[in-house]
Amino acid sequence: MLRKTILISITLLVSMSSFGQLPKLTFTPHWLPQAQFAGYYVAQQKGFYEEEGIEVEIVHPSASVMATDRLIKEESDIISLFLITALSEKIKGVNLVNIAQLSQNSALLFIAKKSSNISALEDLNGKRIGIWEGGFDEVPKALIRSNNYQVTWIPILTSVSLFMIDGIDAMTVMWYNEYDQIINSGINADELSTFFYSDYGFNIPEDGIYCLNKTYLQRKDDLQKFVKGTLQGWEYAKTHKEETLEIVLNLMKKEHIPTNLAHQSWMLDRILELLEPGSKNTEKGRLIESDYQKTLSILSGEGSSNILPLFNDFYKPVIERKILNQPQEKSK
Amino acid sequence: MIFRINKSLASRIVFYVLTFCVFLFLISLSLFYVFSKGTIEEMTYKNASAITQNTVYKTEQVLLTTEKILGNYKWLMEGNHLDCDSIMAYTQLIIKSNPEVLGCAIAFEPNYFPEKGRYFSPYTYRDDDSLISLNLGSAEFEYFVMDWYQIPAIIGKPYWSEPYFDAGGSDALVTTYSVPFYITAGEHRKMAGVITIDLSLDWLTDIVSSVHILETGYASVVSRHGTFVTHPNKDLIMNQTIFSYAKELESPKLREIGRDMQAGITNFASITFLNTDWIISHTPISSSNWSLAVVFPKSEMYAPLKRIGTVLILLIIIGLSLLTFIIVQIVTKQIAPLRHFANSALEIADGNFNTELPEIRTQDEMKDLHDSFGIMQKDLKTYIENLKETTAAKEKIESELRIAREIQMSLIPKIFPPFPDIKEIDLYAMLEPAKEVGGDLYDFFMIDDQHLCFAIGDVSGKGVPASLFMAVTRTLLRSAAPKQQSPREIVNSLNKSLSQGNESSMFVTFFIGIINIETGIFKYANAGHNPPIIMYSGGGVEMFEISKNIPLGLFPEHDYEEKERILSKTDCLFLYTDGITEAENCKNELYSEEKLINCLSLLEKAEPKESILEVARDVAEHVKENEQSDDLTMLSIIYYGK
Repeated sequence: MLRKTILISITLLVSMSSFGQLPKLTFTPHWLPQAQFAGYYVAQQKGFYEEEGIEVEIVHPSASVMATDRLIKEESDIISLFLITALSEKIKGVNLVNIAQLSQNSALLFIAKKSSNISALEDLNGKRIGIWEGGFDEVPKALIRSNNYQVTWIPILTSVSLFMIDGIDAMTVMWYNEYDQIINSGINADELSTFFYSDYGFNIPEDGIYCLNKTYLQRKDDLQKFVKGTLQGWEYAKTHKEETLEIVLNLMKKEHIPTNLAHQSWMLDRILELLEPGSKNTEKGRLIESDYQKTLSILSGEGSSNILPLFNDFYKPVIERKILNQPQEKSK
Repeated sequence: MIFRINKSLASRIVFYVLTFCVFLFLISLSLFYVFSKGTIEEMTYKNASAITQNTVYKTEQVLLTTEKILGNYKWLMEGNHLDCDSIMAYTQLIIKSNPEVLGCAIAFEPNYFPEKGRYFSPYTYRDDDSLISLNLGSAEFEYFVMDWYQIPAIIGKPYWSEPYFDAGGSDALVTTYSVPFYITAGEHRKMAGVITIDLSLDWLTDIVSSVHILETGYASVVSRHGTFVTHPNKDLIMNQTIFSYAKELESPKLREIGRDMQAGITNFASITFLNTDWIISHTPISSSNWSLAVVFPKSEMYAPLKRIGTVLILLIIIGLSLLTFIIVQIVTKQIAPLRHFANSALEIADGNFNTELPEIRTQDEMKDLHDSFGIMQKDLKTYIENLKETTAAKEKIESELRIAREIQMSLIPKIFPPFPDIKEIDLYAMLEPAKEVGGDLYDFFMIDDQHLCFAIGDVSGKGVPASLFMAVTRTLLRSAAPKQQSPREIVNSLNKSLSQGNESSMFVTFFIGIINIETGIFKYANAGHNPPIIMYSGGGVEMFEISKNIPLGLFPEHDYEEKERILSKTDCLFLYTDGITEAENCKNELYSEEKLINCLSLLEKAEPKESILEVARDVAEHVKENEQSDDLTMLSIIYYGK
């Protein structure tokens, strides 16, 4: 373990010294270190970015400074965001563009304890549902709204404690994160009712890579290298899960973030599933317009009065389709 | 081994005794093991239970003390005249007066004091030796949605938060105890805010870390949601819940135990993980909804039993070895004389009756055996000596008897035909003696040129006396016959001679005949003998002289009767003794006179030799394998005439 870390460090040092003049990009994922961003960490630690010809620094957001804030302040060149968050920001006037859409599927769901007598979506009507106070609330709200249910939204930070002690009837969770946290807090899967948004017409893609339009125009080549390196990182993570989890856990330990292998392993598996297009007629890394329009319709349904951006103004892929199809060959 | 066991009495005794001892020890050891195991389990469980209860009690003491602190201030906050500017002072007071408290916040609902705006949460915390006070709320610090505020506010009850790392980035664990407080406006009771104190969990770590059970047993506290708050493995603390750990260990049982702990159950559970069998004793820490588990490896519980068991087995092995040695010594010593006896017996069998017997000093069965052996040796010696003498005597008697028989047999004529020059008659006789010397006799001789004298007799009894009597009779006959001309005179003379001095009252049945070979006149006298048979030349067989007279040797003055008949040419006389008619077969059936007559009827015109041999064959056929008990004597004469 230690030896491996030292080897990686040496590799990185060598790479960095050889390419001392490499153009540098600062990337900020939209959350604290966890397996959700494994592809970026792997690409950085395995030297995939250097191989592409760029130097990447990963700076995580903090409780007070969000990824978007860093982008706006141009402290970060690239960030990751949920599609709906990014589109919302775009509508609010942040001139960002999507350069690659990694996640193709929604990982959001409502969960409720079966002991609360909630077994169908309509049972949520009139109930108290926990929802994150800091964002990601558009899709759940749109889903409830689309069914004309009246619910009481209880804002919560990040913990699942309120749900655990029955302070709320249901809760919005991520399939790869809070759902497993709840399982790891002692509730068995068969004691939970789950309502995946994707099953109710809200399969909104999530994690994507964003930059300011300005950056897109000025550093398209570097951005392309970043996306290629990232895709390669994800491919590597897919085939080297153990090593990937070791990288993630080390990083989290360094950041003093409590976690464990079981949870991160679950998260990595789920994230890798979300990257797959599945039944969608698209390829890895691409945003399809229908998903964009659906997301836009959710936001417009919330009553945004701003001018809605056009698909082509929002989505500016830096990699051609055929290149996207061959990340593995490139990695060879 | 089996061969050796079977061969040696000592090894067999040792084998059986040892087998039984091993069986006995095994049973005892098993019973000891079962009962001791139960006792050890019971004691360890009691100990674990006591440790668990004691640790929980100590923990509860601290938690309840903390809860009491806020009890008073909650009451104060719920008073009607609360001055918002004095609240910070309360937080400072709480910290000052409770050294174990790290921080204290009194957080109010949004816009509770309009003049303070949306966020009003005076907070004082300990920073080394100084106290720092500040107002917690801000747009970036929406405390209303934080667990420490939101959960007690929503559930309306005090709440111990899940432990968390101190904000300073140290490894210090902290938990927050929050109590909601309310104001009553008119009839409405309204949520006003939450009062909290932060409590370092160092004391909990100290209490729980000090728990030791058996060799490596330890205690661990898990929070309401299963998070490890204390554990000897620091990596688990706050990183793992008992459920995520169960998943990593692939132990559904651990998950079940975790759920039991979460449910506030007190229990003992047995579980295997990390290649070890463990016993977990868990009890809830009720005030904070945590649970304490005391964990120890099962093998350590049984370690003393294993130690005692090992010692016992060693002792048993040593004991059995000693026992084997002693039994071998004792048995070998005890049965050693047996080997000597065996050798002595072999020597005695070889004829050495004076061989020495082993010396036996004990007064037991071996001594009895020795004495019996001695008596046997002595008796055998005497017996064998007697036997030698008897055998010698017997051999002598047998030899004498053999000679007597030879002499007896030499007395009777055995050359046939006896008178080859006399054509008028032909004669054949046979005396087949039984095993012993018998008393049958026959004789024939020419008295003169014309007269053939013949006789047949049977002395009463058997053996030497009978043979002697027979010899006397025959000698008397030979001496009397030439002097007397008639059978009657001969018989009377014989009777007189035999009767004299016959103290043993022996007698002889006797038939005598004299044939005039020229005329065929046949004179005869019968002294108690079987009736003779005549086979007529013209056919027909009959007995004559059926009326028996008294035998010779009994009454000296008896006058025997003489009879006469004339033989035709080729008439044949057949004389015999009762050895023929009384020959017995296995079924005790006699040959009988009838059978004899029948046999002779079939021998028409047969010569004497042929008749006698045929009758002998017929008798033999009747008797078969049965032993001949009496002399077989036959005499046959055929008269051819001139």
